[in-house]
Amino acid sequence: MTASKKGFMPGCSLPSYTPEGVQKTMEYLKEIYPDLGGVQKCCGKGTKALGQEEKFKERFDGLQQDMDDIGIDTMIVACQNCYKTINETSETTKAESLWTLLPKIGLPEEVRGKAKDSDVIFAVHDSCSTRYEREMQDGIRWILRELGYRVEESENSFENARCCGFGGMIVPANPDLANRVMQRRADDFESDYVVVYCAACRASLSKVGKKAFHILDLLWGPVVHRDDDAPEDVLSKPAQAWINRYKSKRVVKKVVKA
Amino acid sequence: MEFRQSVYDNAKQITDGCMGYEEAFCTAACPMHTDVKKYIRQIGEGNVEGAMETIREKLFLPNTLGRICAHPCEAACRRESEFGQPLSVAALKRYAAEKADEKTSWDTTTGEDTGKSVAVIGAGPAGAQAAIDLRKAGHRAVIYDKLNVVGGMMRVGIPEYRLPREVIDFEYSYLEDLGVEFKMGVEIGKDITFTDLRAQHDAVIVANGAHKGGVPPVKGKEAQGVTNACDFLKEVSLTRQSETAGKRIAVVGGGDVAMDCARSAWRIGAEEVSLLTLESFDELPASKEEIHESMEEDVRFLNSWGTDEIIADETGRVQTIRLKKVLSVFDENGKFAPQFGEETMEIEADTVIFATGQQVEDVTGGLIEQKGGGRYVTNPETLATSEDDVFVAGDASGGYIVVEAMALGKKAAKSADRFLNQQELEEGRNFKYEYSFVTNLDVPLPKGTENLPRQSGNHRAAEERKHDFRPYDLGYTDEQAKQEASRCLQCECKLCMEECLMMNDYGECPQDIFGQFLQDGEIEPIVPYSCNVCGGCTHVCPNDYPIGETFMAMRKDFILHNDGKSPMEGHKAIEMHQKLGFSKVFTTKVKGGK
Ligand SMILES: Cc1cc2nc3c(=O)[nH]c(=O)nc-3n(C[C@H](O)[C@H](O)[C@H](O)COP(=O)(O)OP(=O)(O)OC[C@H]3O[C@@H](n4cnc5c(N)ncnc54)[C@H](O)[C@@H]3O)c2cc1C
Ligand code: SF4
Ligand code: SF4
Ligand code: SF4
Repeated sequence: MTASKKGFMPGCSLPSYTPEGVQKTMEYLKEIYPDLGGVQKCCGKGTKALGQEEKFKERFDGLQQDMDDIGIDTMIVACQNCYKTINETSETTKAESLWTLLPKIGLPEEVRGKAKDSDVIFAVHDSCSTRYEREMQDGIRWILRELGYRVEESENSFENARCCGFGGMIVPANPDLANRVMQRRADDFESDYVVVYCAACRASLSKVGKKAFHILDLLWGPVVHRDDDAPEDVLSKPAQAWINRYKSKRVVKKVVKA
Repeated sequence: MEFRQSVYDNAKQITDGCMGYEEAFCTAACPMHTDVKKYIRQIGEGNVEGAMETIREKLFLPNTLGRICAHPCEAACRRESEFGQPLSVAALKRYAAEKADEKTSWDTTTGEDTGKSVAVIGAGPAGAQAAIDLRKAGHRAVIYDKLNVVGGMMRVGIPEYRLPREVIDFEYSYLEDLGVEFKMGVEIGKDITFTDLRAQHDAVIVANGAHKGGVPPVKGKEAQGVTNACDFLKEVSLTRQSETAGKRIAVVGGGDVAMDCARSAWRIGAEEVSLLTLESFDELPASKEEIHESMEEDVRFLNSWGTDEIIADETGRVQTIRLKKVLSVFDENGKFAPQFGEETMEIEADTVIFATGQQVEDVTGGLIEQKGGGRYVTNPETLATSEDDVFVAGDASGGYIVVEAMALGKKAAKSADRFLNQQELEEGRNFKYEYSFVTNLDVPLPKGTENLPRQSGNHRAAEERKHDFRPYDLGYTDEQAKQEASRCLQCECKLCMEECLMMNDYGECPQDIFGQFLQDGEIEPIVPYSCNVCGGCTHVCPNDYPIGETFMAMRKDFILHNDGKSPMEGHKAIEMHQKLGFSKVFTTKVKGGK
């Protein structure tokens, strides 16, 4: 039997947001899959969203080449756009969501139940791009439960998810509208504390005042209690974001080579 | 700019099929297309004046219809099909009219004088509506009626306890305000010939209703005390009594007209009222309300009995009716074909009123051909006849209820107006909207919809009301009206518009946006570039329309026509961003394992 050859790809918004999150995730995956490979690149979703078909094709071909070069057949991803883009575009490589993988491989012993005394109730912002991926959505709830957090659902959970406002590259095209979409999404949640599983969604909800945490913040970071602040909105600071992206690239190299 | 074919195909599919502007069930079913949904909402908001304005846009008889409309809207109401408890649309209309119908706010503008004159035969709802529309178009309208009172069957058929006569007179005063002329007490065919009438006017609208009541060929029907619903109700309407009727009255028939006869019978002093129907109780064609109210008033229902023979006493007066048992009323094709058994029964009565249908009498001296029920042969879309200048409306052309008569009056007036202006009768008319239709609206029930009970009206106690002609239903209180209005589901689609903020910036529903696109052949780039491609629209759309997908495809064409670049200024930064994301500095690939 030929075991599938797995790699991890942080994508673009996640590595720009949290090199630490990328590192811890990869280290844990590496424990389970010692042969884990790694690619740091954008999946091209942004190019595709603008409508640049040709350029997207060219860019995705590059990504495909990278994946092929390091002999990956299954790419573990922590971004819903990467998940969809790869699965919709690649004929040979399959994207596997970290959120469905973790329930299968389990969480590290040291994080399980760590938040059972937290007094925060998290609302969950599901990504609109994967509104029909129930297994992924359930995976997020599973992780939260494993950690010990309590969760509140809204009418716009799961397949009724609404856009965070970032989708379709409308922020630069129609910023006023984007703001209204963000606010509307924020208003879907009763709780101030919202957990997301896309770094771009996190940035959107932060912008309109929600205490938005990435699920990896909760997985690897400190336990969140009422009145704790959410991490700052790094993605709104381009310099910081690019430095992070660069750091993440080094992380990918370092962890794979370790 | 050319877009790919799929963009046009999708845009067409959405524009053609989108239910965003599809009428609510009630409004589509109303032959006059009163904006029911809107005025109910306004009543719910406490804006009764606004509601009244909405109603008056379509109806000159709001209070009348509020009391007696056979309300096809209620039969079509979503709350009827879901829960069997339709909105009380008519009663809400009456509430608005009683509360807020001010003569001073009636729109009495008329069209510029055309010098043409139209004769309208009949002052019933069909003739009245036709006359109104003719005045609005600038023609002279002269109504001729053989009676001395206006309203037609509403006046001499529908009993007073359901429709007070001053309500009719008040609402008909609108016609005088518009300058409609009335020649009352003039019978066409007797006082003036149809030929003379035609000669005096440029066109004629025949709206003489169905006023000939008949008595079926039952043995003994010549006895004294045998009459028909039309004659009986007319006499009662005009005099509050009946020369023919005695004290033990039997009404033959199971429809609403029969109920009117039975309930009127009490009011002229009957001591016993029976209702003989061929149909079984469950098959009765009368409305549920009328059946219920008749039973409250102690009308004795004898269902599944046919009249075999009327037996007179020595003076020639009805004494006994022999009935025979009905086995079935309809054959397997649903056609009326009663089958009788052997069983018989006799009941005592001194009066028999046959409420078994009304016929249209000819007023044209045989000029216009008639068919079943005396109805005139017309083109059903235009109501034109074999004679260019003659049109038919109302019951005489095929309607059965007041609001249908009005819609048919409107239709005939429209055709007459075209004829007078030497225009084609059919061209460019949307005939579907000239009458009841079934809406294409097909949407899930709004979230959280509950089966809330219909507010019943305030009916006077049966024992009291059955002895006088005063209104038996006192109408809604403010509280009840609000409560009832709050049950309305405000049926519409536009589900995508609840989901999508961006489309609301560019139209009321996707039909606007894509229809405009198809019409102009272009679209501002900001529209497709404002789409989040979130799929929310398609997710909620009952037709799964690919809205976001179509915006996305448009973007691709914008790029193709713009040297591979986005037409949006703001996207320059994104393009840079993307480029960096693929640059060597920020990318890597590392093979795992040995
Ligand atoms: C007993 C009864 C109860 C009804 N109840 C309801 C109800 O509750 N709700 C509802 O919606 N519908 C009801 N209907 C039906 C409704 O009344 C008719 O559909 C409607 O009135 C038809 O309108 P119309 O204008 O076509 O004719 P009509 O209302 O019948 O008016 C015709 C007019 O033409 C006049 N006329 C006739 N011949 C001549 C002539 N030769 N010369 C001059 N004038 C003439 C008549 O006097 C009459 O005024 C009822 C009908 C009956 C018989
Ligand atoms: S629920 Fe309201 S809008 Fe819907 S059909 Fe009934 S009356 Fe009309
Ligand atoms: S995909 Fe576009 S059009 Fe559809 S709901 Fe989302 S933003 Fe609106
Ligand atoms: S959901 Fe929107 S696009 Fe779909 S039918 Fe309704 S109004 Fe039209």
